[in-house]
Amino acid sequence: MAGVAGGNDFQWCFSQVKGAIDEDVAEADIISTVEFNYSGELLATGDKGGRVVIFQHEQESKNRPHLRGEYNVYSTFQSHEPEFDYLKSLEIEEKINKIRWLPQQNAAHFLLSTNDKTIKLWKISERDKRAEGYNLKYEDGRLIDPFRITSLRVPVLMPMDLMVEASPRRIFANAHTYHINSISVNSDHETYLSADDLRINLWHLEITDRSFNIVDIKPANMEELTEVITAAECHPHQCNVFVYSSSKGTIRLCDMRAAALCDRHSKFFEEPEDPSSRSFFSEIISSISDVKFSHSGRYMMTRDYLSVKVWDLNMENRPVETYQVHEYLRSKLCSLYENDCIFDKFECCWNGSDSAIMTGSYNNFFRMFDRNTRRDITLEASRESSKPRATLKPRKVSTGGKRKKDEISVDSLDFNKKILHTAWHPKENVIAVAATNNLYIFQDKIN
Amino acid sequence: MLGRGVKRKRKQASEAAGEETQRHGDGEVGTAEATSGGAGDIGDMRQRLLGLSLEKLHRYQAGVELSLRRSVLLINTLRQIQDDMRNGIEGDANAVLGAPDSPLLHEDLTCPGCAEGGRESPSSSPESSSEEVNVGSFSDAVNAMGYLGDLAMDDIFEDIDTSMYETSDVSSGWTAGSLWPVSVSLWADEDGKGTAGGLQSCLMDLNELDHIMEILVKS
Repeated sequence: MAGVAGGNDFQWCFSQVKGAIDEDVAEADIISTVEFNYSGELLATGDKGGRVVIFQHEQESKNRPHLRGEYNVYSTFQSHEPEFDYLKSLEIEEKINKIRWLPQQNAAHFLLSTNDKTIKLWKISERDKRAEGYNLKYEDGRLIDPFRITSLRVPVLMPMDLMVEASPRRIFANAHTYHINSISVNSDHETYLSADDLRINLWHLEITDRSFNIVDIKPANMEELTEVITAAECHPHQCNVFVYSSSKGTIRLCDMRAAALCDRHSKFFEEPEDPSSRSFFSEIISSISDVKFSHSGRYMMTRDYLSVKVWDLNMENRPVETYQVHEYLRSKLCSLYENDCIFDKFECCWNGSDSAIMTGSYNNFFRMFDRNTRRDITLEASRESSKPRATLKPRKVSTGGKRKKDEISVDSLDFNKKILHTAWHPKENVIAVAATNNLYIFQDKIN
Repeated sequence: MLGRGVKRKRKQASEAAGEETQRHGDGEVGTAEATSGGAGDIGDMRQRLLGLSLEKLHRYQAGVELSLRRSVLLINTLRQIQDDMRNGIEGDANAVLGAPDSPLLHEDLTCPGCAEGGRESPSSSPESSSEEVNVGSFSDAVNAMGYLGDLAMDDIFEDIDTSMYETSDVSSGWTAGSLWPVSVSLWADEDGKGTAGGLQSCLMDLNELDHIMEILVKS
């Protein structure tokens, strides 16, 4: 797969934008997670209103090869509803925190969606036939009194318009006291883990009434609490291995073969802090907001507030690669603390071949880094460049000194427009970028 | 900004910070005078950060569960400010917060002093004397401590994690006396009183919430 910046041979172009154009954004419409399935045929988004929207890849045709990056709505359903915790007198938001697809095993698709407390397993299946002509029920669905039925009619399957149904198959509730931040399907395809601020649970996909607590960092005395779990993920190939990241900027790799309760990690990844850049905000900006294994399983990537790091699983003392996402914000940390942006949780993703990575920034900018050439590019998800197949112009933020033409100064960045969630098609150079209530789909442009 | 109808006493530092927050609330990042300023601003800067951090802990949306990550990061930041001040006090007995010549921080807000630890166990407070003096001047806060001390929160909520509430964090922090990041002499001078008032009202506020919770649980 070609590089991200690619020079002359490779550029990114606009493909589609989903969501209302309206300037007035409803809170419920804000996209809170984006995820391709394993084949890339389906793309799911979750929003703050508890809805899941699934897009399906438009079938390519020889006449229109540019349709590679075109997706149409396949199914929309309400995954979570707002709830109220009467015991604590607190609202439980319906916001979808994460969606994870299960590997496809039959004609139907399955996904897990979660809000702060409850994980649900959904089945998404197609139906294009219906049974007709049986006489056990009235038209409104009520059963006919058996004594009134004098003959039995065999129903016939009649073709009908394609219908996509989403049905909840399992509900995994009451296992998390704190907010769930991650779910991750294990490579055994039978189990998955769910992580909240202080604990990680391991579930069987078929069993909803019990789960195994595999990590618990809650101190006996909560006053001693100085660290929380921020993200967790299963290894893509070794079903006994998982990692979790913390608010102190460290990552722990655990082996479930070692003990049932993985309180003691097998590996501990931490980069020594540079004393020269220490400030009051050091800990906040080193807090890891996302951790993702590479598809190969050899590396993992972590995102903190200002940078993204690639770690070799065989080297714990420092990352093998560090990429600055928006280093120009280092001098603005005080303001970003004031306006709470410093607590934003940016996610990150790998491309299909692990050769490039992508993560978001402010002002609707997102960044891509080519691991081989070490080139990076800043692109913008904006309506202005959203003409069909329009090439995305690389953007630049001026860092001190004179602002050159086409550059944007740090002070004019819009910190309300943030790209927290992005996804990369597992096989193609097609990316999905969530910008507030809009989902942008871009693809590479081969000249 | 105060929320829940609490009257707030005069306080310049945190009010200024509040306005700042509102101004930046719409997504703008203003000029970072704080980081670019000279050494004289750094004490003020820390003072402002302190007020801001307390205010952030205080201000939350009623009825919605807090983000534990955010609270922990905020409290750790407060602890760091506390350590930083403690180190400063050790260095200079007359050091007053916000003093223009306060050598507590150098230009870029780094605090080499706080690298020496104590962050994990700030309970080993060497300033117990100054602490006593200050606590005396905040009888309301002390009363609050006593009131909450009698509550025995842990017994009531044995099976529930109430610890995620700011209220218990704050109150138990006070009960512990030392873990809560604001146990050093923040209010030794005029400027500090503003912050203290804020904290006081903050505590009263939280007490009310605790009281309501108590009633709810008992009924």
